[in-house]
Amino acid sequence: MNFAWRIYRRLAQAFPHEFKLAYGTDMTQLGEDVVKEIATRQGMAGLIRLIAYIALRVPIEYLSEVHADMRYAVRALLKSPGFAFVGIISMGLSIGLTTNVYSSKWALLFRDLPAAVNAKNLVMPEKPVSYYYIEQFREQKDLFAGVAAFQIGVPFNVTFQGNTNAKPERVFGQLVSADYFSVLGVVPQQGRLLSPELDKSGDAPVVVISDRFWRNRLNSSPNAVGQILRLNGQMAAIVGIAPKDFNGAFSINPAELFVPITAPAALAPELANDVLHQRNAKEFLAMMCLAPGGTIDSAEAALDAITRRLDAQDPSLPARTDKGRRVTLLPAGTRVPLPRELRPVLLGFFLLLTGLVMTLACTNLANMLIARGANRRKELAIRLAIGAGRFRLIRQMMAEGILLSLLGGIAGFAIAYGLTVLNSRFSPPMGVPIERDFSLDWRAALFAFGLALVCGIGFSLAPALQATRADLTPALKEGSALQLPGYRRFGLRNLLMVAQVAASLMLLLITGFLVMGIRKDSSIQTKFDPNAMLLLSIDPVRDGYPPENAQALFEKLPERLKAAAPARRIAFAAQPPFSIIDGDEALQLTAEDSGAASRVQQSVIEETIGAGYFAMLSEPILAGREFEERDQRKQTDGSKTSSSLAEPNNVLPAVLNETAAHGFFGNGNALGKHVRDDKHLYEIVGVVRNLKNGIGISQSVIFLPLTPRDFARAPADGITIMVRSDAGPFAETDALGAIRNEIALIDPYLNLFHVQTLSEYLDRSRASTRLAVQTYGGIGVFGLVLAAIGLAGITAYSVAQRRREIAIRTALGASRAQVLRLVLREGTALVGIGTVLGFLGAVAVAKILSALTNVFVEAFRIGTGDLRLLVGAPLLLAAVTMLACYFPARRSVKIDPLKALRQE
Amino acid sequence: MTETDLHSFLPLKPHWFHIMLSLAGGEQHGYGIMQEVLNRTTGKVRLWPATLYGSIKRLIEADLIEESDERPAPELDDARRRYYRLTSLGRRVLDAECERLQELVRTIRAKQSQAMVTE
Repeated sequence: MNFAWRIYRRLAQAFPHEFKLAYGTDMTQLGEDVVKEIATRQGMAGLIRLIAYIALRVPIEYLSEVHADMRYAVRALLKSPGFAFVGIISMGLSIGLTTNVYSSKWALLFRDLPAAVNAKNLVMPEKPVSYYYIEQFREQKDLFAGVAAFQIGVPFNVTFQGNTNAKPERVFGQLVSADYFSVLGVVPQQGRLLSPELDKSGDAPVVVISDRFWRNRLNSSPNAVGQILRLNGQMAAIVGIAPKDFNGAFSINPAELFVPITAPAALAPELANDVLHQRNAKEFLAMMCLAPGGTIDSAEAALDAITRRLDAQDPSLPARTDKGRRVTLLPAGTRVPLPRELRPVLLGFFLLLTGLVMTLACTNLANMLIARGANRRKELAIRLAIGAGRFRLIRQMMAEGILLSLLGGIAGFAIAYGLTVLNSRFSPPMGVPIERDFSLDWRAALFAFGLALVCGIGFSLAPALQATRADLTPALKEGSALQLPGYRRFGLRNLLMVAQVAASLMLLLITGFLVMGIRKDSSIQTKFDPNAMLLLSIDPVRDGYPPENAQALFEKLPERLKAAAPARRIAFAAQPPFSIIDGDEALQLTAEDSGAASRVQQSVIEETIGAGYFAMLSEPILAGREFEERDQRKQTDGSKTSSSLAEPNNVLPAVLNETAAHGFFGNGNALGKHVRDDKHLYEIVGVVRNLKNGIGISQSVIFLPLTPRDFARAPADGITIMVRSDAGPFAETDALGAIRNEIALIDPYLNLFHVQTLSEYLDRSRASTRLAVQTYGGIGVFGLVLAAIGLAGITAYSVAQRRREIAIRTALGASRAQVLRLVLREGTALVGIGTVLGFLGAVAVAKILSALTNVFVEAFRIGTGDLRLLVGAPLLLAAVTMLACYFPARRSVKIDPLKALRQE
Repeated sequence: MTETDLHSFLPLKPHWFHIMLSLAGGEQHGYGIMQEVLNRTTGKVRLWPATLYGSIKRLIEADLIEESDERPAPELDDARRRYYRLTSLGRRVLDAECERLQELVRTIRAKQSQAMVTE
C-alpha cells in the first residue's frame, strides 16, 4: 500500500505545472484519503487501477495543454499577420529551395540507378573505347564480374505496326551488348532482356523497350511483347520490357529502346563499317561490374596497364611515353557518372548554397522571434509574477515557433512542388532528351521539415529562455532598457545579425557570379532577321536510306529547295547555329607547325558544318575561305585513318575561330598551317570571327566540313538544314509549306523534325539562360530581402529598448540627427562587419570551387573579374540594409521625451 | 444562452453527469463528490482521483461548474480543500440532461408495456 501511495504521489507530481497549481494539493490529499479505503475494499486490483488511471491521465493533460498552446499560437500569429507572413514565406522559400535542389540534383548525382541491383559496384572508363578493348577487359574475370559495351543517345526513327502511313517518331535509345542488363543487374518486368546465349549476330533483330516507352507509346498494351516495331525502317521484334523507372545507364539522357549491338547496320547506322571489329574505333562506353572484393583503384590500375599493353601492340598508333593514367574509372551507378573527386565538390557546393539559404531564413526567424520575445517581456513578467509556470510560458512561445516552421514547411512543399512542375515543363534545346522529371523526394521533404522544426524549436527556445529569465521587479517597471548595460558587443542578436549580413552577401555574390557567367553578353546578335531563317532536320539513313543514297539526297537537296519558293540560301550543319556544345566533346588538338619549340596544345570545341554556312549567317570570313561543296565529298573514315595519316587525301580542311587561331598560332597567319589530333591532320583554310553560343559564351572552336560519313550517320540532332528566305519572316509566307511539299515530292517518307525558325530556336536557348538567371538571381534577391527584414527588426527592437535613454538625451538637448546617428551606429557597424566577412567568404568560396573543379571556372572567372558585381553587390546590400535600419530608426526621433519619461 | 447551445453539451459524459449531479445539492469538494457518487451508485461508479480532477478542470473550462468562494459553516469547513458548485449554465444543462434521460426512460417503459400487452 505504501508502495502504491509513493507511485501515486510521484505521478501526481508529473502533471503539467498549471494543473498541479490548481488541483495538485487536492489530488494528493484525495489520494491519501482514498488509498487506505481502496486497499481494504478492493485490494491489490484497486490499487493498480488507482495508479493506472493517474498514469493515463498525465499524458492526456499534457496533450490538452499542447492543444491549448497551439490554439494560443494560432491566435498570436493571426494577431500579427505581418510577422507570420514574413516568417512563413522565408521558411517556406528556404525549405522549398532546399527540397527542390535536393530532389533534383541529388537524385541526379548521388542516387543509385533505379532498378539496377549492381549499382554500387558499377564503374566505367571516362572515355569511350573500341569494342576490341572491351573484349579484352571482359577477360579480366578476377577484376570484373562483367563488362558490357553500350552507346548512349542513339536516335531511332520508329514506325508502329499497322500504322505504316504515319510519319515515324524519333525515339532515343541505347545500343547495348547482350550482357548489358546482367552487368547492371536489371530484371525484366515482362518478356526477357538480352543475353549472350540468345542474342547472336545474324539473328532476326530484337529490341527491349523501357517501361516509359511501353506506357506512353504502346498504351501499356498487354500484347506488347512479340509486337514488331520498325526501327529506322527495319523490322525488330519486342522481346521484353525493362523494369519500371529504368531508363538505362546514364539515365540523365533517358533511353526508351535497347537494341543489341548484334543488330544489322541497316537498323543502326552506328554499327556500320564493321565497327565492332575495328580495333581503333573508340565508339563504345564500357560498363563494368566490379568482382566481389574488387576496388575501383585496383581496377583502374589494372585497366591502365592493359590499355598500355594494347596500345603498344598496335603499330598504327604513334608511340606514347605519357606518364599519367590512360584510363580513369568513374563510379557508374548513378544517373550521371561523375569523377570521384568531383562528388564532394558538387556536394559541397549544393550544401553551401542551400545551407546559406537555410541559415538566412533561420537567423531571420531567430531575429524576429527574439525581437518578439523582447517586446513581450513585460507581459511575460506579469504572467510570471501572478504565478504562471516558466516552463509553461516557454512552451507557449515555442509553440509559436513550431507552428511557424510547420506552416513554413507546408509552404515549402508547395513551393518545391511548383518548382518541380516548372522544371519538368521546361526543355532545353538539346538534341538528346534530358531527364527533367524529378518527383519530390520524400527524404528531402522530411529533412527540410525536420530542419524547419529544429530551427523553430531552437530559435524560439532561446528568446523564450531569455525573456522569462528576466528579473521580475525591474521588468515590471516601465524601464525595459534594464538589460542593456551600454553596448552588448557580442550578444546573440548581434552575432546573428552579422551572420545574416555575411550570409546574404555571400549568397548574393556567388549567385551573382553564376548569373554573370551565364549572362555575359548572352544576347546573340544575328546580322539578319532570325525569323527569316528556318531550321529543319532530316536523318535519311534512319528513314531506311542506304548511305550512298543519303549522300545523293544531300547533293540534290539545295537545288530542289532553292527552286521551291523564295528560299534563297541553303546550308547544312550537324547542329543548329549558336548551339550549346558540351565542352566534354572538345578535341585535343596540337599545332603542327606553330614554329615554337614547344607545340601548342589546346582543347577546342568541334562544330561540323556544310558549305556556305558562314555566308548563310552573314558572317564575314576574316582570312582564307569557308567550306565549299567539294569539301563535303571528302572521304574520311574515322577508324582507318590512323595508319595513313600522312596521305594528302586524309588531310581535312578546317576553319578556326579567332580565339582558336590565336591560341595555336599567336598573331601569325594561320592559313595553310596544320593542327592534328591522334586520328586526323587538319589544314587551316579559313579564320572567322568568334560566334557566341546559345548561352552567350565564345570558346575556341574548330569548324570541320560535313563529310559523307556524317550524312551516313547523322548526329542525335539529325542533319540540320538551314533555309534563309529573303522574303521576310517565315511565319508570314507559305515558304514552309513549299519546302514541305518539295521534300514530300523527293520522298514522302522522309521524316522532317525539329522544324522551327532560328528565332524560335534562340528563344528556347535563351529560356534556359533565363531560367538559370532567374533561379540564381531569385536566390540572391531572396537573401537580400531576408537580410533587410532582419536588420529592420533588430533596429526597431533596439529603438524600443532604448526609448528611455533616447528620451533623456532629447530632453537634455540632443538634436534629431544626433539621435538618429546614435541608433544607426549599431546597425552600421553590424552591416560593415557582415559585409567584409561575406565578401571575403564569397571570394574564398569562388576560389576554392574554381580550384577544385572546372565546372564553375568560367562563371567565377567572369564573375570575380566584374567590378560592377564586386562593388555593386556589397553596396546594394549595404544600401538596402541601411534603408531597412533607417525606417525603424526614424521612430526614435519621434519619441516624445515627456511621455517616455512619465511612464516611469 | 440559447437552447441549441445547451444541447451542444448533451448527452453529457457519464463522469460529467455524476459530478454535476452531486453538485446539484450544493457546493462540494473533490473528496465529497467522490464519496457522494460512490454512495449514490452503491459503489458501482468510482471516480478515480486523476479522472475526477481532469473532469473538474474541463467542466470549469466549459463554464458548467465554478470554484466556490463561499465556505460552508466553519465546523464543517475543510480549509485545505477547494469547493465547487454549478454555474447557472451548468444547472440548465443538468436539467436538460435529466429531461432527456426521463424522456428516454418513458420511451423504454412504453415499449416494455407494449411488449407485455402483445404477449
